[in-house]
Amino acid sequence: MTPEAVIFYAFAAITVGSAAVVVLARSLIYSAFALLFTFFGVAGLYVLLGADFLAATQLLIYVGGILVLLLFGVMLTHKIYELDLRSEVTQFLPGAIIGSGILVLLLVTAFRTQWRIGPGRPPQATTQEIGQQFLGPYLLPFEAASVLLLVALMGAAMIVRRRREA
Amino acid sequence: MNEVLQSMRLFRPELALTAALLLVVVVDSARPRGRDLINRLLTVAGLAGAAGLCLPLRGVSASLFSGMVVIDPLAIYFKVLLIGSSLLVVLIFTFRNSAELQGQGQGEFYALMLAVTLANVLMATANDLAMLYLALEMVSITSYVMVAYVKADRLPSEAARLSNEASLKYILFGAVSTGAMLYGLSLLYGLAGTTSLPLIRDYLAAGVSDANRLAVVLVTLLVLAGFGFKTAAVPFHFWCPDVYQGAPTPVTAFLSVAPKAAGFAIMLRFFFQGMAAGTGWELSGTLDWPQMLMLVSVATMTVGNVAALTQTNMKRLLAYSSIAHAGFIMMGLVALSANGARALMIYLLAYVFMNLGAFLVVTLVHAHEGSFDLRDYPGLYRRAPGLTVAMAIFLFSLMGIPPLVGFMGKLYVFAAVIEKGYFWFALAGALNAALAAYYYARVLKTMIIDAGNEEKPPLRLALPDAVWVAVLAAANVLPLLGWRWVESWAQASLSMIASR
Amino acid sequence: MIGIHHYLVVSAALFSLGVLGVLTRRNAVNVLMGIELMLNSANVNLVAFSRYGAGNLQGQLFAVFVIVIAAAEVAVALAIVLTLYRLRRTPNLDEADILKG
Repeated sequence: MTPEAVIFYAFAAITVGSAAVVVLARSLIYSAFALLFTFFGVAGLYVLLGADFLAATQLLIYVGGILVLLLFGVMLTHKIYELDLRSEVTQFLPGAIIGSGILVLLLVTAFRTQWRIGPGRPPQATTQEIGQQFLGPYLLPFEAASVLLLVALMGAAMIVRRRREA
Repeated sequence: MNEVLQSMRLFRPELALTAALLLVVVVDSARPRGRDLINRLLTVAGLAGAAGLCLPLRGVSASLFSGMVVIDPLAIYFKVLLIGSSLLVVLIFTFRNSAELQGQGQGEFYALMLAVTLANVLMATANDLAMLYLALEMVSITSYVMVAYVKADRLPSEAARLSNEASLKYILFGAVSTGAMLYGLSLLYGLAGTTSLPLIRDYLAAGVSDANRLAVVLVTLLVLAGFGFKTAAVPFHFWCPDVYQGAPTPVTAFLSVAPKAAGFAIMLRFFFQGMAAGTGWELSGTLDWPQMLMLVSVATMTVGNVAALTQTNMKRLLAYSSIAHAGFIMMGLVALSANGARALMIYLLAYVFMNLGAFLVVTLVHAHEGSFDLRDYPGLYRRAPGLTVAMAIFLFSLMGIPPLVGFMGKLYVFAAVIEKGYFWFALAGALNAALAAYYYARVLKTMIIDAGNEEKPPLRLALPDAVWVAVLAAANVLPLLGWRWVESWAQASLSMIASR
Repeated sequence: MIGIHHYLVVSAALFSLGVLGVLTRRNAVNVLMGIELMLNSANVNLVAFSRYGAGNLQGQLFAVFVIVIAAAEVAVALAIVLTLYRLRRTPNLDEADILKG
């Protein structure tokens, strides 16, 4: 096996394995930490795919932002002295059936379809080009995303803030 | 750079909305005295300005910002519709006449309204998968926040609980639906090799090989999950009644109208091959579209109408009624013709006026009576005759009784469907319309004929409220006088830009 | 040789696990985690197609925006969950039952 294959299988195993733990674990904290490993695994896959900027973004935002937020969410919605953070599972079987069905469907689709396999893009540094795209063709989504973040920030703060005394 | 500057010249409505949004945020943070009034004026000015700035752009066809958004007659129609709906909602529902919103902070509401309008407009004009997804999520996220708007005092109130629960259901359901849609979009990118909609349409129009058929079907289903969620079509409608009931009624009124219209706009763009007006509309892809859409449309209409039959909560009743109307609007989509698209657009326009009117009446009754329950509605005819007459107009319009705009909307969709030969489909639609008439009539009967509440004093409406009720009632009737103008506007808007 | 299909299998697994999480979990934060798995799976698709497919950066750029949107969504979702907890002392979805249906 080539080194690339070894690394791929390692990261794929980390990603999918951790994802399974996220979904199946009893304790909420286990799920959260497994999610951390999932995000790391995905970042590793991005590096393998030559998306270096994206991998860094994934780590910064997903791990450093979203995961921290989720951990805060876990912590703030349980009594502090209650160490056993259980999360209950409702009716596992129907969900499992649907989940497996979806998995089969996706796998069949993935292997049957003739995807647009082209010359591809051998791994190379992407940061400069992404930067140029953001200020060029992707300018509008870039600016729109900034408005979205402003509004989400304002909205989330508004929802959580206690009402001002009249 | 040049292209950006050129695009900005045609982007003025959106720029006006953004400028207004930023100003409102700044004013709200600075906390001057009277900022609520300033914010309200800013919002109204921003929305009116944006709508006005759309008018010089009629007839323009261009692709902006490297193909991210487009301007074409279809886009202008929807932009005016969307901005106009937002403007109406802001003008009609004030913080005074809505009991749920009273006492809540106002600045954020106006900022959110401007933001969601901007996002709706971007969604209706998006021409690239990334832009489409971004705009759709922007609409969704601002909607989630708006639904969660009612907050608790020191003690949790019923309204706060409802608002919170509604927003939770909304965001979880929405995030799952759009997550599924995103997976579909990623597969579409893999198939077509590009995220640009015109190029994707070309790719699909060139024919789909047998090996890829499964993937295209899967993509369609996943994408429909997202669009179905936005327009509350079956089976993605489950969030609708709870969210409509829990959200503050002005927000509900807005949600029932604007994001739904934007959702239909993007469905038109996504599923149709762009053609210049006059050469007909073709569908991209090679699937059995009519059958699938017909199924969804009938299911949506029926579920909505049947569920509404037993509702006593006015907000839930109107929620199910909205779901049913989405089914009717979809009939225009099923027809897969220029007439069908035109019917869809006309129905949406009528729908804005009828639905906002109905919600306004419900809000006012709640503000004065404190109840959304139909069982508290008897005797309203004696206590507020004008309001009841207006409600009658709105309900008759929703039923589709001539000569109101609701009837015109139904007329066009039925005509488009029959023209294509889908007689059973039309019959199903007609049966549904009859079914709907039952529960609309029941509301009216309760208000006019049922006895009760005799000892209560007459309901006095504040002057602005009475004026708006009258204006909306007129809006349901007057377009008939200038109908040729309305129809020609819709017809002229049937041109969609085809290339990147 | 690692090709597109390898990555598609990974993303299919992630997506299915995410759906499983969404369908079977009671705690709202857990459902959010399931949603994040779904979004990540779509991102893996986008980046993989960018690398092996047409060879343009559009997939990667799309993925950046997905990450941004996911962050905004999680922020708002957690704000709502926090409010739910304040009002009701539980983050469990089963307890959110005033609205029937």
